[in-house]
Amino acid sequence: MLSTESAAQTQAAAQTQAISLKPQPWRWSHPRVLVEHPNEATGLEIASGLRFAGYAVGICPGPHGRRQCPLTGPAGCAPAHDADLIVCSLGYEHETARAVLHELRTRFPEKTLLVETPSDMDAGLHELLDGCHQLPAPASPEQIVAAVRNLSGHVAEEGNADA
Amino acid sequence: MRNPFYSEQEAFRLVLVLVLATLAIVLAAAVGPTWLAPVVLALALGAVAIRWARLRMRKLRGLELPVKMAPPHVGPAAERRVLVVANDTLGEDALLGELVRLASTPDTRVLLLAPALISPMSRLTGAVDGLLDQTRARLQSTLDRVGHESALAGEISQAEPLEAIEDVFATFSPDEVIISTRWEHAASGLQPQLASLVRERFAVPVRHLVFEPGTAAQEPDGETDARYRHDVGEAAARRFGLRALASAGIGAAVLMSMAALIQSGERQEARAASQAAAERAAAAPPVATQVSLSVIPEYKRGPEGEKHDAFTVTEFTVRVGRPQTLRIDNTDSVPHSITAPAAGVNIVLMPGVHTYTLIVRRAGTFLWFCTFQCDEWAMQHPGYMSGYITAS
Repeated sequence: MLSTESAAQTQAAAQTQAISLKPQPWRWSHPRVLVEHPNEATGLEIASGLRFAGYAVGICPGPHGRRQCPLTGPAGCAPAHDADLIVCSLGYEHETARAVLHELRTRFPEKTLLVETPSDMDAGLHELLDGCHQLPAPASPEQIVAAVRNLSGHVAEEGNADA
Repeated sequence: MRNPFYSEQEAFRLVLVLVLATLAIVLAAAVGPTWLAPVVLALALGAVAIRWARLRMRKLRGLELPVKMAPPHVGPAAERRVLVVANDTLGEDALLGELVRLASTPDTRVLLLAPALISPMSRLTGAVDGLLDQTRARLQSTLDRVGHESALAGEISQAEPLEAIEDVFATFSPDEVIISTRWEHAASGLQPQLASLVRERFAVPVRHLVFEPGTAAQEPDGETDARYRHDVGEAAARRFGLRALASAGIGAAVLMSMAALIQSGERQEARAASQAAAERAAAAPPVATQVSLSVIPEYKRGPEGEKHDAFTVTEFTVRVGRPQTLRIDNTDSVPHSITAPAAGVNIVLMPGVHTYTLIVRRAGTFLWFCTFQCDEWAMQHPGYMSGYITAS
């Protein structure tokens, strides 16, 4: 249906122009899930499943190339800060990914983390994952969405408390 | 209201910098010369501007990690929502075919968004209605040709394309976005780089379909897509750089104007001060550079009719701190003096003609008298062997 009422359109346009495009994340309400996944297509698949399950989603590819993860720097990461649940699928055999996970644990000790874990974990990773919800890697997008849904009662309670 | 900070540390750092800068400015204004406070203010503003510009340039060039976002799906679980963004390609048959295909797919809702692409100049001159009418007509024509009213809706927007898409995410919450452009950007059309921007911002699948007259829809390959993405960053950085340069120029002009105003104010104050001094000097009695006088015994008759020793000049006018030459002929056989303890003056006048220097270090009118034993009555009466020194 095409709206042809010019006054209404002008008003709507004025409203849209007032919206800033500053990179402030999470314009949508809870529950919010941040997916950390290095693969863009898989990340989108997981995000799609989560969106249809009723979650606002964010996808972060994690640190790669010359890009440093802001979470490991002094600036911090607002999407992670404001997320109700974080899906960590960065592949924790890499040191940079472990550093991100370590920062998540340190900065947000109360945050619900769902971590996709490799089958052969060393002692360091075992210690780092203590208290996290774990999912054996490789997990399919459907498995990840199902795991998030299983944790959703907890997440929804936190979200409602924050809202 | 959106919080512009990424972290508490960032907010705390800004507060700390602001407090320190304010302290420096206040301190400079309180104890420094007049020009110091604006200079400190300019330095503080410059430092903040440079930091902000560096962060912005880094962001525009894509050096920061992109976190894509998307709202929850809206509507029945089985329903798929597709947002199609088009403007100059609205009349293309291939796009119409794609719209028909989407709208006829079961459980699919399509929103066709046509940004009116109003340039800043058009906004400035108010030439907006014509562009809106053109876009509305083009969109209506496309919707009429496609049909499928129940599955296909249209919307125009005056906002920038990316802002318009962001707004649609808030209301329609698409599950997929299709950006329809030409291969190259035309003045009246959508930029092909828009697809890259949407892909970087939203956590939904984004397809870029290129339509040229008479051809089927095509999708850019990876290389073309990378070029578009690079162009977006470079163009934005270039635009930002130009704006930053212009802002710096304006800022420098404002600061120079401020400095000129302060300087002219100081000059005016100095001029006023020198004028006031000149006026004071003009109002003061004239000062001779050299005064000649004599000390003569029994020179002047007193009120009782007797003749008394006297100076021929007993009133001296001097400038504070400036020496005045006195040429004195002491015709007596003994010394006399001009002594004014309050003015710090004690000049002993030997018999004969001699030149002396009279200096008074502070302003005022001071009584002087002769301290050598001579005519006792004359020593106590101004106009004889006593008088006044006026220093201004």
